[in-house]
Amino acid sequence: MTPLSAVGLETFYGKSHVLHGVSIEVREGEIVALLGRNGAGKTTTLRSIMGLTPPREGSVRAFGQLVTGLPPFRVAALGVGYVPEGRKIFGNLTVDENLRAPADRPGPWTLARAYQAFPRLAERKANKGSQLSGGEQEMLAIARALLLNPKVLILDEPSQGLAPLIVEEVFRIVRRVREEGASVLLVEQNVRAAVALADRAYVLDDGKVIYEGAAKDFAADEARVRELAGASAETWDLGD
Amino acid sequence: MIQLVLFGVFNGLIVGAFYALMAIGLSLILNLSGVINFAHGGFLALGGYLAYSLAPTIGFWGALLIAPLITAAIGLLVERLLVRPLYGRDPLYSLLLTFGLAFIFQDGLRTIWGAQSVPFSPPAAMMSPLSAQLFFLTGYRLFMMALVAIAVGGLFYVLGWTRLGLRIRAGTRDLETLSTLGVDVRVLRNLNFGLGIYLAGLAGVLAAGQLGLSPTMGDGLIMPSFVSIIVGGLGSLVGTLLGGLLIGVASGLAAVFFPSAQEAVIYVMMVAVLLARPRGLLGEEGRVH
Repeated sequence: MTPLSAVGLETFYGKSHVLHGVSIEVREGEIVALLGRNGAGKTTTLRSIMGLTPPREGSVRAFGQLVTGLPPFRVAALGVGYVPEGRKIFGNLTVDENLRAPADRPGPWTLARAYQAFPRLAERKANKGSQLSGGEQEMLAIARALLLNPKVLILDEPSQGLAPLIVEEVFRIVRRVREEGASVLLVEQNVRAAVALADRAYVLDDGKVIYEGAAKDFAADEARVRELAGASAETWDLGD
Repeated sequence: MIQLVLFGVFNGLIVGAFYALMAIGLSLILNLSGVINFAHGGFLALGGYLAYSLAPTIGFWGALLIAPLITAAIGLLVERLLVRPLYGRDPLYSLLLTFGLAFIFQDGLRTIWGAQSVPFSPPAAMMSPLSAQLFFLTGYRLFMMALVAIAVGGLFYVLGWTRLGLRIRAGTRDLETLSTLGVDVRVLRNLNFGLGIYLAGLAGVLAAGQLGLSPTMGDGLIMPSFVSIIVGGLGSLVGTLLGGLLIGVASGLAAVFFPSAQEAVIYVMMVAVLLARPRGLLGEEGRVH
Protein backbone atom coordinates (compact mmCIF):
# COMPACT_ATOMS: atom_id res chain seq x y z
CA MET A 1 0.00 0.00 0.00
CA THR A 2 1.44 3.38 -0.96
CA PRO A 3 2.18 5.24 2.27
CA LEU A 4 1.26 8.66 0.95
CA SER A 5 -0.23 9.90 -2.27
CA ALA A 6 -1.60 13.34 -2.90
CA VAL A 7 -3.31 14.09 -6.17
CA GLY A 8 -4.17 17.48 -7.62
CA LEU A 9 -4.04 19.46 -4.39
CA GLU A 10 -5.55 22.94 -4.62
CA THR A 11 -5.00 24.62 -1.28
CA PHE A 12 -5.88 28.12 -0.17
CA TYR A 13 -4.99 30.31 2.77
CA GLY A 14 -8.06 32.47 2.94
CA LYS A 15 -8.31 33.94 -0.52
CA SER A 16 -4.74 33.31 -1.57
CA HIS A 17 -4.37 30.27 -3.78
CA VAL A 18 -1.16 28.54 -2.66
CA LEU A 19 -1.12 25.09 -4.27
CA HIS A 20 -2.08 24.64 -7.92
CA GLY A 21 -2.65 20.97 -8.56
CA VAL A 22 0.23 19.49 -6.58
CA SER A 23 0.60 15.72 -6.83
CA ILE A 24 3.25 13.85 -4.89
CA GLU A 25 3.75 10.31 -3.80
CA VAL A 26 5.84 8.55 -1.19
CA ARG A 27 6.33 4.84 -1.88
CA GLU A 28 7.16 2.20 0.63
CA GLY A 29 10.66 2.46 2.09
CA GLU A 30 11.46 5.65 0.20
CA ILE A 31 13.00 8.89 1.35
CA VAL A 32 11.43 11.62 -0.73
CA ALA A 33 12.75 15.17 -0.70
CA LEU A 34 10.39 18.05 -1.33
CA LEU A 35 12.41 21.05 -2.46
CA GLY A 36 11.75 24.58 -3.53
CA ARG A 37 12.42 28.17 -2.60
CA ASN A 38 10.74 29.98 0.26
CA GLY A 39 7.06 30.39 -0.38
CA ALA A 40 6.94 27.70 -3.07
CA GLY A 41 4.30 25.78 -1.12
CA LYS A 42 6.34 23.05 0.58
CA THR A 43 4.92 23.51 4.07
CA THR A 44 1.44 23.99 2.64
CA THR A 45 1.75 20.67 0.84
CA LEU A 46 2.65 18.95 4.10
CA ARG A 47 -0.17 20.72 5.95
CA SER A 48 -2.61 19.67 3.24
CA ILE A 49 -1.53 16.05 3.62
CA MET A 50 -1.83 16.15 7.44
CA GLY A 51 -5.24 17.74 7.34
CA LEU A 52 -4.00 20.90 9.06
CA THR A 53 -4.92 23.01 6.04
CA PRO A 54 -7.33 20.84 4.09
CA PRO A 55 -7.15 21.24 0.30
CA ARG A 56 -10.16 22.68 -1.46
CA GLU A 57 -9.68 20.26 -4.36
CA GLY A 58 -7.72 17.09 -4.80
CA SER A 59 -7.30 14.02 -2.67
CA VAL A 60 -4.88 12.65 -0.10
CA ARG A 61 -4.50 8.97 0.61
CA ALA A 62 -2.53 7.42 3.44
CA PHE A 63 -1.89 3.70 3.07
CA GLY A 64 -4.66 3.51 0.52
CA GLN A 65 -7.24 5.17 2.70
CA LEU A 66 -8.79 8.45 1.63
CA VAL A 67 -7.99 11.01 4.32
CA THR A 68 -8.89 14.28 2.59
CA GLY A 69 -10.80 16.43 5.02
CA LEU A 70 -10.11 14.24 8.04
CA PRO A 71 -8.76 15.94 11.16
CA PRO A 72 -5.00 15.57 11.74
CA PHE A 73 -5.36 13.05 14.56
CA ARG A 74 -7.14 10.62 12.24
CA VAL A 75 -4.37 10.94 9.66
CA ALA A 76 -1.76 10.47 12.37
CA ALA A 77 -3.59 7.43 13.73
CA LEU A 78 -3.05 5.68 10.37
CA GLY A 79 0.69 5.93 10.97
CA VAL A 80 1.65 9.32 9.59
CA GLY A 81 4.21 11.03 11.83
CA TYR A 82 4.78 14.76 11.53
CA VAL A 83 7.66 16.93 12.68
CA PRO A 84 6.44 20.47 12.10
CA GLU A 85 8.43 23.44 10.92
CA GLY A 86 9.90 25.24 13.90
CA ARG A 87 9.67 22.00 15.95
CA LYS A 88 6.59 23.15 17.91
CA ILE A 89 7.54 21.32 21.04
CA PHE A 90 5.36 21.97 24.08
CA GLY A 91 7.52 24.47 25.96
CA ASN A 92 5.34 24.30 29.07
CA LEU A 93 5.83 20.52 29.36
CA THR A 94 8.93 18.64 30.44
CA VAL A 95 10.87 16.58 27.93
CA ASP A 96 9.38 13.45 29.42
CA GLU A 97 5.84 14.83 29.18
CA ASN A 98 6.41 15.90 25.58
CA LEU A 99 7.30 12.30 24.81
CA ARG A 100 4.24 10.93 26.56
CA ALA A 101 1.84 13.18 24.68
CA PRO A 102 1.50 11.16 21.43
CA ALA A 103 -1.19 8.53 21.01
CA ASP A 104 -0.18 4.89 21.50
CA ARG A 105 0.34 2.90 18.36
CA PRO A 106 2.04 -0.46 18.39
CA GLY A 107 5.58 -0.52 17.02
CA PRO A 108 9.24 -0.54 17.91
CA TRP A 109 9.35 2.86 19.60
CA THR A 110 8.85 3.04 23.35
CA LEU A 111 9.80 5.72 25.80
CA ALA A 112 12.78 3.67 26.95
CA ARG A 113 13.98 3.16 23.40
CA ALA A 114 13.60 6.84 22.60
CA TYR A 115 15.83 7.74 25.54
CA GLN A 116 18.33 5.15 24.35
CA ALA A 117 18.36 6.59 20.84
CA PHE A 118 18.47 10.19 22.08
CA PRO A 119 20.67 10.11 25.19
CA ARG A 120 20.69 13.89 25.37
CA LEU A 121 16.94 13.83 25.92
CA ALA A 122 17.36 11.32 28.74
CA GLU A 123 19.73 13.75 30.44
CA ARG A 124 17.23 16.56 30.07
CA LYS A 125 14.17 14.49 30.88
CA ALA A 126 12.94 16.74 33.67
CA ASN A 127 13.69 20.03 31.90
CA LYS A 128 10.92 22.10 30.36
CA GLY A 129 10.81 22.03 26.59
CA SER A 130 11.38 25.76 26.54
CA GLN A 131 14.74 25.30 28.28
CA LEU A 132 16.21 23.18 25.49
CA SER A 133 18.61 24.37 22.81
CA GLY A 134 17.45 24.43 19.19
CA GLY A 135 19.18 21.15 18.47
CA GLU A 136 17.71 19.45 21.51
CA GLN A 137 14.28 20.73 20.56
CA GLU A 138 14.65 19.24 17.11
CA MET A 139 15.64 15.89 18.61
CA LEU A 140 12.66 16.10 20.93
CA ALA A 141 10.29 16.90 18.08
CA ILE A 142 11.60 13.92 16.10
CA ALA A 143 11.53 11.56 19.07
CA ARG A 144 8.01 12.70 19.89
CA ALA A 145 6.85 11.97 16.35
CA LEU A 146 8.59 8.58 16.40
CA LEU A 147 6.77 7.56 19.58
CA LEU A 148 3.60 7.47 17.50
CA ASN A 149 5.36 4.62 15.70
CA PRO A 150 4.69 6.11 12.28
CA LYS A 151 5.02 4.09 9.10
CA VAL A 152 5.73 7.28 7.21
CA LEU A 153 7.49 10.24 8.78
CA ILE A 154 7.05 13.77 7.50
CA LEU A 155 9.73 16.29 8.45
CA ASP A 156 9.40 19.99 7.71
CA GLU A 157 12.82 21.65 7.53
CA PRO A 158 14.42 19.72 10.39
CA SER A 159 17.81 21.38 9.83
CA GLN A 160 16.51 24.94 10.04
CA GLY A 161 18.75 27.05 12.26
CA LEU A 162 20.85 24.13 13.49
CA ALA A 163 24.63 23.73 13.62
CA PRO A 164 26.06 21.42 10.94
CA LEU A 165 27.02 18.77 13.46
CA ILE A 166 23.44 18.51 14.69
CA VAL A 167 22.10 18.47 11.16
CA GLU A 168 24.28 15.43 10.49
CA GLU A 169 22.75 13.80 13.54
CA VAL A 170 19.25 14.58 12.27
CA PHE A 171 20.04 13.07 8.88
CA ARG A 172 21.49 9.98 10.54
CA ILE A 173 18.22 9.51 12.36
CA VAL A 174 16.26 9.91 9.13
CA ARG A 175 18.35 7.15 7.58
CA ARG A 176 17.79 4.96 10.61
CA VAL A 177 14.04 5.49 10.45
CA ARG A 178 14.07 4.28 6.88
CA GLU A 179 16.25 1.29 7.74
CA GLU A 180 13.59 0.27 10.22
CA GLY A 181 11.06 0.16 7.44
CA ALA A 182 9.31 3.54 7.58
CA SER A 183 9.13 5.90 4.64
CA VAL A 184 10.15 9.55 4.86
CA LEU A 185 8.92 12.76 3.29
CA LEU A 186 11.45 15.49 3.88
CA VAL A 187 11.15 19.20 3.21
CA GLU A 188 14.60 20.78 3.18
CA GLN A 189 16.26 24.05 2.40
CA ASN A 190 19.60 22.31 2.16
CA VAL A 191 19.26 21.09 -1.36
CA ARG A 192 22.57 19.28 -1.63
CA ALA A 193 22.22 17.45 1.64
CA ALA A 194 18.63 16.52 0.89
CA VAL A 195 19.25 15.08 -2.57
CA ALA A 196 22.24 13.16 -1.22
CA LEU A 197 19.92 11.52 1.29
CA ALA A 198 16.77 11.04 -0.76
CA ASP A 199 15.72 8.45 -3.30
CA ARG A 200 13.44 10.74 -5.20
CA ALA A 201 12.90 14.47 -5.26
CA TYR A 202 10.12 16.88 -6.11
CA VAL A 203 10.73 20.55 -6.73
CA LEU A 204 7.92 23.00 -6.12
CA ASP A 205 7.72 26.47 -7.53
CA ASP A 206 4.81 28.84 -7.13
CA GLY A 207 2.59 26.04 -5.89
CA LYS A 208 3.30 23.70 -8.82
CA VAL A 209 5.51 20.65 -9.16
CA ILE A 210 8.23 21.65 -11.65
CA TYR A 211 10.51 18.66 -11.25
CA GLU A 212 9.92 15.09 -10.30
CA GLY A 213 12.44 12.30 -10.53
CA ALA A 214 15.30 10.37 -9.02
CA ALA A 215 17.25 12.40 -6.49
CA LYS A 216 20.46 11.15 -8.08
CA ASP A 217 19.53 12.64 -11.45
CA PHE A 218 18.63 15.94 -9.84
CA ALA A 219 21.90 15.98 -7.91
CA ALA A 220 23.81 15.40 -11.15
CA ASP A 221 22.24 18.45 -12.77
CA GLU A 222 24.61 20.96 -11.21
CA ALA A 223 22.98 23.99 -12.83
CA ARG A 224 19.60 23.13 -11.38
CA VAL A 225 21.02 22.35 -7.96
CA ARG A 226 22.96 25.59 -7.88
CA GLU A 227 19.96 27.61 -8.96
CA LEU A 228 17.76 26.12 -6.26
CA ALA A 229 20.45 26.07 -3.58
CA GLY A 230 21.32 29.69 -4.35
CA ALA A 231 17.73 30.68 -3.85
CA SER A 232 17.54 28.95 -0.50
CA ALA A 233 17.98 30.74 2.74
CA GLU A 234 20.80 28.53 3.97
CA THR A 235 23.56 26.91 1.99
CA TRP A 236 26.38 24.78 3.22
CA ASP A 237 27.88 21.37 2.64
CA LEU A 238 27.43 18.41 4.86
CA GLY A 239 30.88 17.15 3.95
CA ASP A 240 30.00 13.55 3.42
CA MET B 1 -10.99 43.41 66.74
CA ILE B 2 -8.93 40.30 66.03
CA GLN B 3 -12.13 38.35 66.10
CA LEU B 4 -13.68 40.68 63.53
CA VAL B 5 -10.67 40.43 61.26
CA LEU B 6 -10.73 36.63 61.54
CA PHE B 7 -14.44 36.72 60.81
CA GLY B 8 -13.86 38.77 57.68
CA VAL B 9 -10.93 36.69 56.52
CA PHE B 10 -12.71 33.41 57.08
CA ASN B 11 -15.91 34.52 55.37
CA GLY B 12 -13.72 35.81 52.58
CA LEU B 13 -11.94 32.50 52.23
CA ILE B 14 -15.27 30.70 51.94
CA VAL B 15 -16.53 33.05 49.25
CA GLY B 16 -13.09 33.02 47.66
CA ALA B 17 -13.14 29.24 47.53
CA PHE B 18 -16.36 29.42 45.51
CA TYR B 19 -14.89 32.05 43.23
CA ALA B 20 -11.82 29.87 42.78
CA LEU B 21 -13.80 26.71 41.98
CA MET B 22 -15.86 28.59 39.42
CA ALA B 23 -12.90 30.45 38.01
CA ILE B 24 -10.69 27.38 37.67
CA GLY B 25 -13.42 25.63 35.70
CA LEU B 26 -13.89 28.70 33.51
CA SER B 27 -10.14 28.90 33.03
CA LEU B 28 -9.80 25.26 32.04
CA ILE B 29 -12.42 25.69 29.35
CA LEU B 30 -11.13 29.05 28.18
CA ASN B 31 -7.53 27.85 27.95
CA LEU B 32 -8.15 24.71 25.93
CA SER B 33 -11.23 25.62 23.92
CA GLY B 34 -11.11 29.41 23.77
CA VAL B 35 -14.70 29.54 24.97
CA ILE B 36 -15.83 31.97 27.64
CA ASN B 37 -18.56 29.99 29.33
CA PHE B 38 -21.18 32.44 30.50
CA ALA B 39 -23.41 29.49 31.34
CA HIS B 40 -21.01 28.42 34.10
CA GLY B 41 -23.22 29.96 36.78
CA GLY B 42 -26.17 28.05 35.33
CA PHE B 43 -24.30 24.77 35.71
CA LEU B 44 -23.46 25.73 39.27
CA ALA B 45 -27.14 26.32 40.09
CA LEU B 46 -28.06 23.09 38.33
CA GLY B 47 -25.63 21.20 40.56
CA GLY B 48 -27.24 22.73 43.64
CA TYR B 49 -30.79 21.93 42.56
CA LEU B 50 -29.91 18.38 41.58
CA ALA B 51 -28.48 17.85 45.05
CA TYR B 52 -31.64 19.36 46.53
CA SER B 53 -33.81 16.88 44.61
CA LEU B 54 -31.57 13.89 45.23
CA ALA B 55 -30.94 14.47 48.95
CA PRO B 56 -34.33 13.15 50.19
CA THR B 57 -33.63 9.78 48.56
CA ILE B 58 -29.87 9.34 48.75
CA GLY B 59 -29.08 11.73 51.60
CA PHE B 60 -26.81 14.75 51.72
CA TRP B 61 -23.62 12.76 51.24
CA GLY B 62 -24.98 10.81 48.31
CA ALA B 63 -26.20 14.01 46.70
CA LEU B 64 -22.83 15.64 47.25
CA LEU B 65 -21.23 12.76 45.39
CA ILE B 66 -23.76 12.28 42.58
CA ALA B 67 -25.08 15.76 41.75
CA PRO B 68 -21.76 17.15 40.47
CA LEU B 69 -21.28 14.03 38.35
CA ILE B 70 -24.70 14.44 36.72
CA THR B 71 -23.93 18.10 36.16
CA ALA B 72 -20.65 17.13 34.51
CA ALA B 73 -22.43 14.60 32.31
CA ILE B 74 -24.82 17.32 31.15
CA GLY B 75 -21.75 19.47 30.53
CA LEU B 76 -20.23 16.78 28.32
CA LEU B 77 -23.46 16.64 26.34
CA VAL B 78 -23.71 20.41 25.95
CA GLU B 79 -20.11 20.59 24.72
CA ARG B 80 -20.58 17.72 22.30
CA LEU B 81 -23.85 18.95 20.81
CA LEU B 82 -23.72 22.74 21.02
CA VAL B 83 -20.20 24.02 21.64
CA ARG B 84 -18.19 21.68 19.40
CA PRO B 85 -19.75 22.84 16.11
CA LEU B 86 -18.58 26.37 16.89
CA TYR B 87 -14.85 25.63 17.34
CA GLY B 88 -12.75 27.35 14.74
CA ARG B 89 -15.35 30.04 14.16
CA ASP B 90 -15.38 33.60 15.35
CA PRO B 91 -15.34 33.52 19.20
CA LEU B 92 -18.46 35.66 19.10
CA TYR B 93 -20.52 32.57 18.21
CA SER B 94 -19.58 30.60 21.29
CA LEU B 95 -19.96 33.72 23.39
CA LEU B 96 -23.52 34.17 22.15
CA LEU B 97 -24.23 30.49 22.67
CA THR B 98 -23.11 30.38 26.29
CA PHE B 99 -24.77 33.71 26.97
CA GLY B 100 -28.04 32.30 25.65
CA LEU B 101 -27.52 29.06 27.53
CA ALA B 102 -27.19 31.00 30.76
CA PHE B 103 -30.74 32.33 30.27
CA ILE B 104 -32.04 28.93 29.25
CA PHE B 105 -30.59 27.42 32.40
CA GLN B 106 -32.16 30.09 34.58
CA ASP B 107 -35.60 29.71 33.05
CA GLY B 108 -35.30 25.96 33.02
CA LEU B 109 -34.46 25.87 36.72
CA ARG B 110 -37.29 28.29 37.43
CA THR B 111 -39.73 26.09 35.51
CA ILE B 112 -38.70 22.89 37.24
CA TRP B 113 -38.01 24.06 40.78
CA GLY B 114 -39.84 27.39 41.02
CA ALA B 115 -38.65 30.96 41.22
CA GLN B 116 -38.54 31.12 45.03
CA SER B 117 -35.39 30.27 46.92
CA VAL B 118 -35.54 26.89 48.55
CA PRO B 119 -33.54 25.83 51.59
CA PHE B 120 -31.06 23.01 51.35
CA SER B 121 -29.56 21.74 54.57
CA PRO B 122 -26.47 19.76 55.27
CA PRO B 123 -26.68 17.49 58.32
CA ALA B 124 -27.68 19.61 61.33
CA ALA B 125 -24.71 18.48 63.41
CA MET B 126 -22.44 20.29 60.96
CA MET B 127 -24.25 23.60 61.19
CA SER B 128 -23.60 24.60 64.79
CA PRO B 129 -20.64 26.83 65.65
CA LEU B 130 -17.60 25.02 66.98
CA SER B 131 -17.04 27.62 69.71
CA ALA B 132 -18.74 30.77 70.98
CA GLN B 133 -15.59 32.79 70.42
CA LEU B 134 -15.29 31.78 66.80
CA PHE B 135 -19.03 31.85 66.14
CA PHE B 136 -18.53 31.87 62.37
CA LEU B 137 -16.70 28.52 62.37
CA THR B 138 -19.14 25.72 61.75
CA GLY B 139 -18.27 22.15 60.91
CA TYR B 140 -19.90 22.60 57.54
CA ARG B 141 -17.79 25.62 56.66
CA LEU B 142 -14.59 23.82 57.59
CA PHE B 143 -15.74 20.78 55.67
CA MET B 144 -16.50 22.98 52.67
CA MET B 145 -13.03 24.48 52.74
CA ALA B 146 -11.47 21.04 53.03
CA LEU B 147 -13.53 19.72 50.14
CA VAL B 148 -12.62 22.64 47.92
CA ALA B 149 -8.97 22.04 48.79
CA ILE B 150 -9.34 18.37 47.91
CA ALA B 151 -11.11 19.16 44.64
CA VAL B 152 -8.49 21.69 43.60
CA GLY B 153 -5.70 19.37 44.73
CA GLY B 154 -7.28 16.53 42.77
CA LEU B 155 -7.52 18.68 39.67
CA PHE B 156 -3.90 19.75 39.96
CA TYR B 157 -2.96 16.10 40.38
CA VAL B 158 -4.81 15.18 37.20
CA LEU B 159 -3.26 18.05 35.28
CA GLY B 160 0.24 17.53 36.63
CA TRP B 161 0.59 13.78 36.87
CA THR B 162 -1.69 12.02 34.42
CA ARG B 163 -1.48 11.58 30.69
CA LEU B 164 -4.86 13.24 30.26
CA GLY B 165 -3.53 16.19 32.23
CA LEU B 166 -0.33 16.58 30.26
CA ARG B 167 -2.32 16.46 27.06
CA ILE B 168 -4.66 19.15 28.35
CA ARG B 169 -1.63 21.29 29.16
CA ALA B 170 -0.06 20.53 25.78
CA GLY B 171 -3.31 21.33 24.00
CA THR B 172 -3.60 24.60 25.85
CA ARG B 173 -0.29 25.58 24.28
CA ASP B 174 -0.67 24.09 20.81
CA LEU B 175 -3.75 22.06 19.97
CA GLU B 176 -2.83 21.71 16.32
CA THR B 177 0.49 20.02 17.03
CA LEU B 178 -1.12 17.78 19.62
CA SER B 179 -3.59 16.66 16.98
CA THR B 180 -0.77 15.71 14.59
CA LEU B 181 0.51 13.38 17.32
CA GLY B 182 -2.63 11.31 16.99
CA VAL B 183 -4.40 12.69 20.05
CA ASP B 184 -8.16 12.99 19.57
CA VAL B 185 -8.45 16.64 20.47
CA ARG B 186 -12.25 16.58 20.23
CA VAL B 187 -12.47 14.04 23.03
CA LEU B 188 -9.83 15.99 24.95
CA ARG B 189 -11.84 19.20 24.74
CA ASN B 190 -14.97 17.33 25.71
CA LEU B 191 -13.41 15.79 28.81
CA ASN B 192 -11.80 19.07 29.76
CA PHE B 193 -15.16 20.83 29.48
CA GLY B 194 -16.69 18.13 31.67
CA LEU B 195 -13.95 18.61 34.24
CA GLY B 196 -14.65 22.34 34.41
CA ILE B 197 -18.39 21.75 34.73
CA TYR B 198 -17.83 19.16 37.45
CA LEU B 199 -16.15 21.83 39.55
CA ALA B 200 -19.08 24.17 38.92
CA GLY B 201 -21.52 21.46 39.97
CA LEU B 202 -19.55 20.76 43.12
CA ALA B 203 -19.43 24.46 43.94
CA GLY B 204 -23.19 24.54 43.41
CA VAL B 205 -23.89 21.79 45.94
CA LEU B 206 -21.59 23.36 48.51
CA ALA B 207 -22.99 26.82 47.93
CA ALA B 208 -26.53 25.50 48.24
CA GLY B 209 -25.74 24.20 51.72
CA GLN B 210 -24.34 27.55 52.73
CA LEU B 211 -26.43 30.13 50.91
CA GLY B 212 -29.59 28.30 49.89
CA LEU B 213 -30.85 27.81 46.35
CA SER B 214 -32.21 30.14 43.75
CA PRO B 215 -32.19 29.98 39.95
CA THR B 216 -29.93 33.03 39.83
CA MET B 217 -27.49 31.88 42.51
CA GLY B 218 -24.68 31.65 39.93
CA ASP B 219 -25.07 35.24 38.82
CA GLY B 220 -23.36 36.76 41.81
CA LEU B 221 -20.41 34.42 41.38
CA ILE B 222 -19.66 34.72 37.70
CA MET B 223 -18.30 38.26 37.53
CA PRO B 224 -15.99 37.79 40.55
CA SER B 225 -14.85 34.55 38.91
CA PHE B 226 -13.81 36.38 35.78
CA VAL B 227 -12.05 38.90 37.97
CA SER B 228 -10.24 36.03 39.72
CA ILE B 229 -8.93 34.81 36.38
CA ILE B 230 -7.72 38.27 35.42
CA VAL B 231 -6.17 39.00 38.81
CA GLY B 232 -4.45 35.60 38.87
CA GLY B 233 -3.21 35.92 35.32
CA LEU B 234 -4.71 34.41 32.20
CA GLY B 235 -3.46 30.89 31.56
CA SER B 236 -2.31 30.14 35.11
CA LEU B 237 -4.61 27.93 37.18
CA VAL B 238 -2.56 28.46 40.34
CA GLY B 239 -2.91 32.17 39.67
CA THR B 240 -6.66 31.76 39.27
CA LEU B 241 -6.84 29.95 42.61
CA LEU B 242 -4.84 32.69 44.29
CA GLY B 243 -6.88 35.37 42.58
CA GLY B 244 -10.14 33.81 43.78
CA LEU B 245 -9.01 33.51 47.38
CA LEU B 246 -7.51 36.98 47.34
CA ILE B 247 -10.55 38.83 46.10
CA GLY B 248 -12.71 36.65 48.35
CA VAL B 249 -10.76 37.75 51.41
CA ALA B 250 -10.77 41.35 50.22
CA SER B 251 -14.54 41.34 49.89
CA GLY B 252 -14.90 39.45 53.18
CA LEU B 253 -12.90 42.10 55.02
CA ALA B 254 -14.73 44.88 53.22
CA ALA B 255 -18.04 43.33 54.31
CA VAL B 256 -16.96 43.74 57.94
CA PHE B 257 -15.28 47.13 57.83
CA PHE B 258 -16.74 48.96 54.80
CA PRO B 259 -19.93 47.08 53.94
CA SER B 260 -20.83 49.49 51.18
CA ALA B 261 -17.57 48.76 49.36
CA GLN B 262 -18.03 45.00 49.47
CA GLU B 263 -18.61 44.65 45.73
CA ALA B 264 -16.47 47.51 44.54
CA VAL B 265 -13.38 46.28 46.35
CA ILE B 266 -13.12 43.35 43.95
CA TYR B 267 -12.80 45.66 40.97
CA VAL B 268 -10.53 48.06 42.79
CA MET B 269 -8.23 45.13 43.44
CA MET B 270 -8.34 44.11 39.83
CA VAL B 271 -7.32 47.59 38.72
CA ALA B 272 -4.54 47.72 41.31
CA VAL B 273 -3.14 44.34 40.28
CA LEU B 274 -3.32 45.13 36.58
CA LEU B 275 -1.55 48.45 37.07
CA ALA B 276 1.29 46.72 38.92
CA ARG B 277 1.32 43.54 36.82
CA PRO B 278 -0.49 43.88 33.50
CA ARG B 279 -0.54 40.11 33.01
CA GLY B 280 -1.94 39.39 36.43
CA LEU B 281 -0.18 37.81 39.41
CA LEU B 282 1.10 34.66 37.69
CA GLY B 283 0.18 35.39 34.08
CA GLU B 284 2.28 33.96 31.31
CA GLU B 285 4.30 36.06 28.91
CA GLY B 286 2.55 36.99 25.73
CA ARG B 287 -0.17 34.40 25.60
CA VAL B 288 -3.69 35.64 25.29
CA HIS B 289 -6.36 33.78 23.42
